[in-house]
Amino acid sequence: MTQIPMGAVPKKETEKLKVLKKPNNNIFLQMKKNYSAYLFLLPKLILFTLFIAVPVVWAFVLSFQEYKVFGSEFAGFDNYIKVFESEAFRIALKNTLLFTVVTVPFGVISALVIASLIYALGKVSQSLFRSAFYLPTVTSMVIIAMVWRWMYNYEFGLFNYVLGWFGIEQINWLGQSTSALWALIIMQCLIPFGVGIIMYLASMGSISHSLYEAARIDGASSFKQWLHITIPLLKPTTLYLVLLSTIGSFQVFTQIIMMTGGGPGSATETLVHLIYKTGFRDFEFGLAAAQSVVLFVIILIFSIIQFRVLRHDE
Amino acid sequence: MKKVFKKSALAIASLGLAASVLAACNGDSEEVGNAEEFKGKITIWDGPRWPDKDDNKFHWLESKIKEYEEAHEGVEVELVQVPWAEMGDKLGVAIAGKSWPDIAPVDISGSAVSIDHIEQGVVEPLDAFIDKDEKKDFYENALDAYTYDDKLYGIPNSITLHSMLLNLDLFEEAGVTPPENGKWTYDEFLEAAKKLTFDRDGDGKTDVYGFSTYVMPGYYESWPFFYKNGGSPLNEDMTEFTFDSPEAVQAIQDLADLKLTEKVAPETHGGVDVGGTFQAWANEEQRTVAMQPWATWAIGAAQGAYPTNFAVAEYPTGDSETASTIGGVGGWIMFHQEEVNKKAAVADFMKFISTAEEQHHMAQNYGIFPARISASEMDPFKDNPEMTRAMEMSDQVVMLPRHPEWKKIDEAIQSQLQLVFNGEKTAEEAMADAKKVVDELLK
Repeated sequence: MTQIPMGAVPKKETEKLKVLKKPNNNIFLQMKKNYSAYLFLLPKLILFTLFIAVPVVWAFVLSFQEYKVFGSEFAGFDNYIKVFESEAFRIALKNTLLFTVVTVPFGVISALVIASLIYALGKVSQSLFRSAFYLPTVTSMVIIAMVWRWMYNYEFGLFNYVLGWFGIEQINWLGQSTSALWALIIMQCLIPFGVGIIMYLASMGSISHSLYEAARIDGASSFKQWLHITIPLLKPTTLYLVLLSTIGSFQVFTQIIMMTGGGPGSATETLVHLIYKTGFRDFEFGLAAAQSVVLFVIILIFSIIQFRVLRHDE
Repeated sequence: MKKVFKKSALAIASLGLAASVLAACNGDSEEVGNAEEFKGKITIWDGPRWPDKDDNKFHWLESKIKEYEEAHEGVEVELVQVPWAEMGDKLGVAIAGKSWPDIAPVDISGSAVSIDHIEQGVVEPLDAFIDKDEKKDFYENALDAYTYDDKLYGIPNSITLHSMLLNLDLFEEAGVTPPENGKWTYDEFLEAAKKLTFDRDGDGKTDVYGFSTYVMPGYYESWPFFYKNGGSPLNEDMTEFTFDSPEAVQAIQDLADLKLTEKVAPETHGGVDVGGTFQAWANEEQRTVAMQPWATWAIGAAQGAYPTNFAVAEYPTGDSETASTIGGVGGWIMFHQEEVNKKAAVADFMKFISTAEEQHHMAQNYGIFPARISASEMDPFKDNPEMTRAMEMSDQVVMLPRHPEWKKIDEAIQSQLQLVFNGEKTAEEAMADAKKVVDELLK
């Protein structure tokens, strides 16, 4: 078979078809050719297989079983039926959705605004603010949750202290069903989205200055340049960050277990906290696995929708 | 003195070993093995206990391990240090992965190991290693806590209960006399709580409250109040939810009303902040609450890390006119063993650390009551009137229902109780809602 080098101009229609075909579809030959690249990938691939792929597949298998220490039994779709009939799951899903719907847009938009403000600064100031805003990302959520628990403390907390200045009565932030979930949402919103800020800054650096120059010549204000050049060109980054933070928000756990335990009542119960309780408190690993699979599907659906809405149009 | 203890402990352990062999000779169908023939490693998990001069909270078990290893050549005992707060979760993961330790310091109530685990064979029965005479040395309720289906699944080493701790400095400041002999009715308790709630600096805000506690799954400090009129969470045969009875509902509402209507408890009353609640009573810089119910470990804390001028009192009585308290039993359980000789060796080590001398030693240092009668007879609290007073409450102990679904039942009740304490539901509404969930679990 005559092969036409990539990029060559085909003379006939038949030759065009040949160009579109891969030169060689033999995966083993390709691997042999690029063996050094595969060698570098191998350690990560092994770790991924052992600690991600195998547990994910195992969780899927487990979701169809009634788990027992010595020999689980096949349970068909029983666990999935229990998930969809469960009032606790519905409440957890509702709370998680509210948490995600508020915190994700707030996190991404605030990261964009903060990154835009930092980008306009000089190099030294930029480094300083970049480090400051990234700090919460490298701080354990356990520590952050403990600090926020103190800030929400009814007697000595910062928030009630500030409210006192304005003569407003103290609020039992984490003790009332009406305020507990919102207290966690506010906390999440006010923790800077460090990864988002860093990624937006990096992406802003790659936007060609000539676009801004042309806009300036046309008389566009700074805000219009930001709105019509910066934001559209940051769309791929925005998509990535929305996906990343949506997945993170659906998996919210540490704040819940550290600050409210899902209460009062079920006011702050979330999906991952429910999965944790089902698995490690009730030892119903089959049901917990089914809940995990349902969560996986929900995240997948959200990711597909976001990808379709926000994907970068060529 | 130490040598005498060491020798007697080894002698008792040897007797235990002989007893286990005898049990086998007596026709017990279970093969018990021979501990002397075992060479290898025994793994034990334990949480931090009382500190030595270097603040090592595992020194007691470390010294016992050393002693045992010296007396048993070829046997290595590995101690895995696990924070108490993580014990349940870590054991859960270990059980799921069948990588459990040989011995763990948990009960079979469901906090870490459940009846379901026993039925699946995860926990070994110990009847072959502890004969009837030896069992006679344990308090009946201690053995009951580790007994399921007429088999013993652990060696009890401690008994705890809850009691009311009263800050006597605040009582004096408010001019309130503590209850005589620590006994009082609910009306007397409420009267005291009202007097103990006061504005110290005259700024119009309450500085000290009479009472507070917290409500969350797995914690039972507030529960004896719910029993005061004769209520209980389940009926005797555990087929019916009974916390919705008028007696229980009134008792629950009474405790919530300490905050909601009587204003003698802070806003955090009925919350989930365990540490913050204790600090409010014990921390010298706070001391904003005069009375709180705690398990007996808090007596040790108030005598040590948080020196407090305090007294121990019973829970107040209601319509039933009898005081109640919730009790718990601690001990060691053995996880499933493949080798019979190892099983015998593990049982031997469990008995070695559960002798009367060890329980007496633990009672003196760790704020718990011995599970062995002979250890109690050594009078571990002769110089500790607060612990002695608490120990006198042993006959008021009510054990929680041992239902396989107890964890879920507990959560259904406690999450509704939280809503009563924050004023979102009345006790009647909350218990009616709890009943819907619990009745499903009891089916």
